[in-house]
Amino acid sequence: MRKISLNINGTKYELLGGEHEMLGSVIREKVGLTGTKIGCEQGSCGACTVLVNGEPKLSCITPVLKCENTEITTIEALAENGKLHKLQQKFVDKGAIQCGFCTPGMVMTSLSLVNSMDKNLNESEIKHQIKEGLSGNLCRCTGYKKIIEAVSEFALENENISSAEPNKTASVGISRPYIEASKKVCGTAEYADDIKTKNALYCKFVRSTIPHAQIVNIDISKAKNVDGVKYIATGKELEEKFGVLPISQDETAMAVSKVRYIGEIVVAIAAITEEIAAEACNLIKIEYKALKPYLNIDDSINDVGENEKIHEHVKFNNNIHKKAELRFGNQQQGLEDCDVKTKLSFEFEGINHGFTEPHAATAYWDENGLTIITATQVPHYLHRALAKVMHVPLSRVRVIKPYIGGGFGGKSDPFPHEIIISHIARITGKPVRTRLNREEVFLTNHGRHPSKMTVEMGISNDGILKVLDADIAIDGGAYGSFGVVTSYYNGVLLQAPYKLDNFGFRTYRVYTNKPQCGAMRGHGAVNSRFAVECIIDELAHKIKMDPCELRMKNFLDSNTLTVGQYRITSNGSRESLQKVIEQSDWKNRYGKLKDGHGLGVGCGFFISGSALPIIWNELPQSVVHLKVDFDGRVVISSGASDIGQGSDTMLAIIVGEVLGIDMQYLYVLAADTMLTPVDMGSYSSRVTFMAGNAAKDAAENLKREILQAICKKYEIKSDELICENNRVFSNDKKVDISWLEAIEILTAKRGAVSVSGKYISPKLGGDFKGAGAGLSPSYSFGACVAEVKVDLDTGFVKVLNIWGAHDCGKALNPMAVEGQLEGSWHMGIGQALTEQMKYYNGLLVNNNFLDYKIPTTLDTPEIHTNIIETIDPEGPFGAKECGEGAIHPVIPAIANAIFDAVGVRVTKLPISAEEILYKMKQSAVLTND
Amino acid sequence: MLVSEKKYIIPKSISEAINIALEHKDCFKYIAGGTDAIVNKFQGNDFFDYIIDISGLKELSEIKTENGFLKIGSLTTLDNLQKNHIIKNEFNVLIEAANAVASPVIRKSATLGGNILCENRCSFYNQTEWWRESVGYCLKCEGDICIATGGKKNCFSKFVSDTAVALISMNAEIEYTDEDGNKKSLLESIYTGDGVNPREFKKTSIVRSINLPLNQNFKSVFYKLRQRESLEFSSLSTAVTVNNSGKIRIVLGAVDPMPVCVKGKVEDNIEDLIKQSVKKSRIVENDVYSRKYRKDMISVFLNKSFKKLGLIS
Repeated sequence: MRKISLNINGTKYELLGGEHEMLGSVIREKVGLTGTKIGCEQGSCGACTVLVNGEPKLSCITPVLKCENTEITTIEALAENGKLHKLQQKFVDKGAIQCGFCTPGMVMTSLSLVNSMDKNLNESEIKHQIKEGLSGNLCRCTGYKKIIEAVSEFALENENISSAEPNKTASVGISRPYIEASKKVCGTAEYADDIKTKNALYCKFVRSTIPHAQIVNIDISKAKNVDGVKYIATGKELEEKFGVLPISQDETAMAVSKVRYIGEIVVAIAAITEEIAAEACNLIKIEYKALKPYLNIDDSINDVGENEKIHEHVKFNNNIHKKAELRFGNQQQGLEDCDVKTKLSFEFEGINHGFTEPHAATAYWDENGLTIITATQVPHYLHRALAKVMHVPLSRVRVIKPYIGGGFGGKSDPFPHEIIISHIARITGKPVRTRLNREEVFLTNHGRHPSKMTVEMGISNDGILKVLDADIAIDGGAYGSFGVVTSYYNGVLLQAPYKLDNFGFRTYRVYTNKPQCGAMRGHGAVNSRFAVECIIDELAHKIKMDPCELRMKNFLDSNTLTVGQYRITSNGSRESLQKVIEQSDWKNRYGKLKDGHGLGVGCGFFISGSALPIIWNELPQSVVHLKVDFDGRVVISSGASDIGQGSDTMLAIIVGEVLGIDMQYLYVLAADTMLTPVDMGSYSSRVTFMAGNAAKDAAENLKREILQAICKKYEIKSDELICENNRVFSNDKKVDISWLEAIEILTAKRGAVSVSGKYISPKLGGDFKGAGAGLSPSYSFGACVAEVKVDLDTGFVKVLNIWGAHDCGKALNPMAVEGQLEGSWHMGIGQALTEQMKYYNGLLVNNNFLDYKIPTTLDTPEIHTNIIETIDPEGPFGAKECGEGAIHPVIPAIANAIFDAVGVRVTKLPISAEEILYKMKQSAVLTND
Repeated sequence: MLVSEKKYIIPKSISEAINIALEHKDCFKYIAGGTDAIVNKFQGNDFFDYIIDISGLKELSEIKTENGFLKIGSLTTLDNLQKNHIIKNEFNVLIEAANAVASPVIRKSATLGGNILCENRCSFYNQTEWWRESVGYCLKCEGDICIATGGKKNCFSKFVSDTAVALISMNAEIEYTDEDGNKKSLLESIYTGDGVNPREFKKTSIVRSINLPLNQNFKSVFYKLRQRESLEFSSLSTAVTVNNSGKIRIVLGAVDPMPVCVKGKVEDNIEDLIKQSVKKSRIVENDVYSRKYRKDMISVFLNKSFKKLGLIS
């Protein structure tokens, strides 16, 4: 340790530190400026960027002693006297901030970029330089589009920017930044690892190095003697099983008697510092007796013979976790009736959510029982799991969700680390915190399942789809997670958006000795949708019909039932497809572009919230409380989890719209299981529809109470009263009072008023087994056209344009909807072209942001965003989901564009340049013959 | 338990730096930008208790002309190369190669000297300590066999410096100082081809400059194979340079533990030169692209390069 002098944001700091410490960790842990984020710890994501003497530096790999005698600028320095820097304001105004975790790094990089830019550049040169300059800063939420717009506008206007007025509106259909956008852009929004609890111990984990093995012995003797180590926990202390689904309670917090994947936690050590905990972890010796590992679907489907299964509880002598089959109509007949058939087999690699904020949490116990502050997108299920595993009443568990740096499904299960730190906090009587590093995040996984499937479809010569049959197997990894739902979704979510009378599927999920898979954006249906959309393209090709026309002919109508009895209400399939056909100039360009250059189309649909809760109970899906007191402020209290998608803002907009008030009267209190009513969480694209409806219901209840009080005083009928512009008035102005006057009337002799609103989805679906899978009160629809260029020499695919359209019912906050769509399309491009989880004998090879390849700004094409509004009859103000459905059409659109470009049918994801090249050569040989 | 003492030393001169290095021979590392060295330290690929930060040595950051050479100080950052007019006009391929390295922010810290000394990489080696324990350590980290090749006794970690590929194609020299004094050699001569110890270059040496011959009227083409257009180490880098006397140099990176160099003349059979280049590469399955594809891409890239240079049609 030595004295380190730093000049940060104009303030001198004298600190004690290790000589090899990195600037980022010193700024965060010692100086306490947590606006600088740590996303990867190896310079591959850019979240930690700060300025050193005006130059951007990745603070996670910059030794702190390099920075003595320099001027260090962090995100916290940009706003002056509470006024945002003009660049920050642009980020806010343009909607360039979603989860906000990459934002500080993005802003710092952009600032130095624009400051050093040649002032004589034209607009397109500026945009290009920004794209290039930001290509080391990863964002998983936005697809970069709004970020590039924000920075470009800042660069173009620079000195003469007119400072935008803070956006006060809370009205449906009007774009506004997230309510917390300013906090995020200033670096003051606190994420799980930014919240420093006094005297907290730090917990680190020892993870299995073997895919499948009995634990013979764990030697903790050396580690125990390390100064500063406070507790060492092993699996036997936490034998209670848990899992997000009641039917898959197959996981323990630490391996109990055997390990099931490389990376599973075997020992946890809490110490007074992170370094000591890590040091002690290195001293743990674990003796294993290796068992036969099962590493892929084929291994796991077979009988294991004398070998040990991964889980004892599976029914047969194999590793099949779940099998399901549903059939509607008569597929045999359908196959006979059609004129042309196509049957193709597909393979998909697993992919990871790639959220920029690693998992982090702090747990402590006090007179109220357990409190855990954690990066979770589903506080409610964690609440239940903790009560179960800790053996405490539900009333003694409090889960607090701080700001979350992205989730995409990857923060929805209860996680071992959350349970372990709760356990150690109870035993030691001290708060315990942890933060996973990026490698651990990848090992924790719960990402999209590696899958294999064979799909057959048939069509009549006039282009009517007759039959769809799918045979699907998915690789679940070592535990259940959401896997049973994933299995079903792979099949059931093929029954729309096209009318299909003869439809069936068989699906398997197997356990393997790899990190578990779970829910990820577009849950369960992304891969099978890819297969179907590619086959439709092939069928169109075979019957020589334009693939858009073919789709138009087969779309389900609005207000209809699917063959599996999904109730389709609003349906914007046709409008979506029509929009992208027009925008891409499809009719003049499809099939007519030069060799290597092509257009492709894909469509899709998704649930707008699962109608059935994960844990069966009679609670409403969502409840929202409103409290208004003498000050006129309406506190919206909701268990819904904003993970960067903007749900807090959505709640405010809905309540503001109903009550006719703007943001100055609204406050959102969300996702604290002690203070807020139960909401099931952010998964299955349910929040806008369900929490939104509950908020609307609550606001209408409050409005009714307010109007009743006014009616009584003014002797006027309530239907004559209008709430608008922070006033309550009648058209004849008999009543014309301000919001505060209205609240004065409401609270007179009564005091603060609390009301409640709820959402319960209607009874839906058939009465057969499996009928509940994929039921939703509403469905979203969408379409994409992709334009690609394939390098004929290398097979390299460059996506040039994405035209996307998505039916979200009604865009409550259009800017937020665009952000969700652009992020979905960007994530789809990643799965299409570069992302995959690569394993070597069960060991994940690319567990970092250098080798797990999220597309950078330079890999992201022009994205053309279209919102289609169909006003759903049951959605709040007609709204439905927009966060997941958009990912479905984009991936097959890219693959189909490759077919148009070079005639190669893609059947594997990610699309590989080599495969395209060799298939091109093969078909060239065949044609020459 | 005591955690060993870690030191961070900022020397005032080259000789001071070397002296400190000699004192701590087994546990020091020079860093300049530190963008690779620090990551390797985190991963446990490299251990050093003494960091000797040479980035403040002003004499190493000059760019000057001397005796018919452009001497580029080793501390010149990759980003700053493009700001020098001579480099831009005479050695533009170096800028292209530098701009293909990592990401723009990293290029503002990463130096030319650091990049040419960038440690060889392999997907079985550039991993955390825990990971390498899980896979069973490979040759490059005290294991017995090469895992990428399924058991060979040689290490085939990839040579991944993009700038070195460009520099060698222009016949660059490296000038450096070690405890025995100042030395100069052809850049390509410091690379051994042994993946475990890829450079024949004392650990205590400090690169002073990279020297490029002036007035050669170089015409060059550089290509890099990668999945993303930023944030990538190379899967294959190629540079082809022709000088004013018709001499051709082909240099390949990322397909061998060392840069693969093939020399020729414009009147040679170009196809033969390409074949030689492919033959000289020792590619193994240690990359996101397959061995076969990378091999095929050598010919594709070189053909494209020669076409661009107008040497084949």
